[in-house]
Amino acid sequence: MSNYYHMPKLPSADSLRVTINVDGKDVVVPGDTNLIEALRSVGIETPHFCYHPHLPLSGNCRQCLIETEGPRGMGLAIACYTPVRAGMKVATPASSPKVAKARKTVMEFQLVNHPLDCPICDKAGECLLQENYMQAGQGESHVREDIGKQYHGAPEHRFEDTKGQDRGGKDIDIGPRIILDEERCILCDRCVRFMRHVAGDEQLYIAARGDHAFITTFPGKKLDHAYDLNTTDICPVGALTSKSFRFKHRVWNLQHTPSIDPTDALGANIWIDHDGGTVYRLMPRCNSDVNRSWIANSTRAAFEALSTNRLLDGRLQGKTVTRSEALRHMMEKLQSAKKVALVSSGHLTLEDNAAMLSLAGVLGPRAEVFGGSWLPVAKPDGIALSGDPVPNRRGVSLLGIADNLDQLVSRAAEFDVVLLAETDLWFADSKQAKALEAIPNRLVLSAWDTASVKAATCAVGINAWAEVRGCMVNIAGRLQMMQAAPVSPVDALEPAWQTLSHLAGSDWNEVIEAWKFATGICSPLASIKYSAIGSSGLQLPPSGAHT
Amino acid sequence: MAKVIQRRSLTLLERSYLWEIIKGMGTTFKHLFRNFKNPEKMQLMSYPEVEVQTPQNYRGSHRLMKRPDGEPRCVACYMCSTACPARCITIEAEPSSDPRIEKKPRKFEIDWLVCVFCGLCEEACPVDAIRMDTRKVAISHYTRKEFIADMPRLLNWDPKDFPANDAQSQKAPGGKQNQQAKQIWGLEVKHS
Repeated sequence: MSNYYHMPKLPSADSLRVTINVDGKDVVVPGDTNLIEALRSVGIETPHFCYHPHLPLSGNCRQCLIETEGPRGMGLAIACYTPVRAGMKVATPASSPKVAKARKTVMEFQLVNHPLDCPICDKAGECLLQENYMQAGQGESHVREDIGKQYHGAPEHRFEDTKGQDRGGKDIDIGPRIILDEERCILCDRCVRFMRHVAGDEQLYIAARGDHAFITTFPGKKLDHAYDLNTTDICPVGALTSKSFRFKHRVWNLQHTPSIDPTDALGANIWIDHDGGTVYRLMPRCNSDVNRSWIANSTRAAFEALSTNRLLDGRLQGKTVTRSEALRHMMEKLQSAKKVALVSSGHLTLEDNAAMLSLAGVLGPRAEVFGGSWLPVAKPDGIALSGDPVPNRRGVSLLGIADNLDQLVSRAAEFDVVLLAETDLWFADSKQAKALEAIPNRLVLSAWDTASVKAATCAVGINAWAEVRGCMVNIAGRLQMMQAAPVSPVDALEPAWQTLSHLAGSDWNEVIEAWKFATGICSPLASIKYSAIGSSGLQLPPSGAHT
Repeated sequence: MAKVIQRRSLTLLERSYLWEIIKGMGTTFKHLFRNFKNPEKMQLMSYPEVEVQTPQNYRGSHRLMKRPDGEPRCVACYMCSTACPARCITIEAEPSSDPRIEKKPRKFEIDWLVCVFCGLCEEACPVDAIRMDTRKVAISHYTRKEFIADMPRLLNWDPKDFPANDAQSQKAPGGKQNQQAKQIWGLEVKHS
């Protein structure tokens, strides 16, 4: 059998619109897609397991059955593999008891040997099997209760549980980041297709046949790939779960804040999942134009830094002081300075960099703004990483800040004050940064206790990326917004734009004031409102982009 | 449909109030003389010297049930803390060392100052791990911290305090490994 599958065609804004008949009513849907997407566009959700908009079609779960008209009258077909045809007749469970019964029966088969693990399953709460059961299932089981669940997976993983039931395949270490539960698997093969077609490294396969089939890796190999944690997201049940989130929290307690990847210039869309001021995980946020449904493991791990090595107060000559003391010292130094070098940062939002430009405006000719980064740039991997570790490099250049850090090094003797904001020059290139130590006053705004903070004469803590609202421009010139999650470790911390506005004496209280300043000085951003950016970002016209 | 209650107008005697006061005082003095006559039948309890006897199904302070080997039955599913309207239950989970059991609590704390003793936690529990049948209703401590009951405290109960027909309370703790669990709890599943 060939391993070739079709990718589903997804509707777009300029799809041809056709009229189809759903449950006796004519509706207008995109004409170049499958029935799942077409029905979704008119608000009808079809339960499914194996179908995923960004994975090749497989059609093995049979859950998305609908009735459509063929040469022999109405008959069952799977919605994911049925293309939309103008004038076609479709029946959903709303009008067809046959479809409702068929879906219920498919659901019953899915559940025959699925364990009743929901209370201890990490997927519970975001599980497709649970959701689809509530929509399409809720039937009586025809399986004899005295037999109970049977385990048919890999024989070496069979055991008898504390209740004497036939169980197996629990807690299998399938790779360095993922745990497999064979018993929960419903064999939708989404993970297999992800590794084969998206990751491009076929590490998973379905072993054995029929009822005895189970997911496994090739003999002696482990599931280990830079994108392997995406298999835990697309797994419709709790068969593949991540070790880092294992038993940490229940998903229904988590709140979700939309944000963007702070570690890469592609700006993959993410959800910050947090509860009670703690970030528990980062999840991909679907954006067909940027990262589809995928994020890299490195992006996923970015939340761990939010609670480690944070700079929560001020540092003055290496001693810990309060934030206000450190800020007062900075203000004095800026006022008495003869020549100030302000170093903007591609790790900060447009608002933060705009606040730095406003500070430069207040200081007048005494100030000069520098930009750029010494971090090495890798090659794009074609999935969800551009390789550039500076997320807002494009945005900084959009604000008219040149990439001229080398000039700062060569002309260090001219300045008596340098202000760095969230750009760790001493970490990126300690040899070049050594030249900056000739500047007597080195002021640093940083969320972390970095090498630059240690080299600074005065440093003050600010909010990290997850705790601020702001915009970034990704490598393709897409303006994207990150929202603030309420996870700041200390209430006294401020976003960088607010601290910079204090230093400039303007005391902005709302991020919108920084945004208005940014739109005022930057013509490509002019007249863009926050509401226009939207959850999937706003593609800026290429003419306005500086490269 | 709402039930309409007709208000009865007071009679002249009732409106004078005097006769009604005499009637009420009569009841008071009746009890006074009765209690003087035989004080041991007095409807009074000298709390806290005498402990209040509450019925077995009265919702008192919580306890955690045990497996036969003395481990908590709790599987750290967070159902109780999810159901809790007062959000007084704090759970942290960890993988179990027993390969047949996946999840167990590392921390299980109930803040009795926050708890409203509604019983939704024991309703929600899928494995009968938390119960409120200790009949201990008076919880008194000197500091707020002491009101937060941790896992050792919740597991510290004596089978003697529970009725003889409560098999899980009687035989659960102190048994030998999980082999006994199947018999005691009647959880043997017959294979055909």
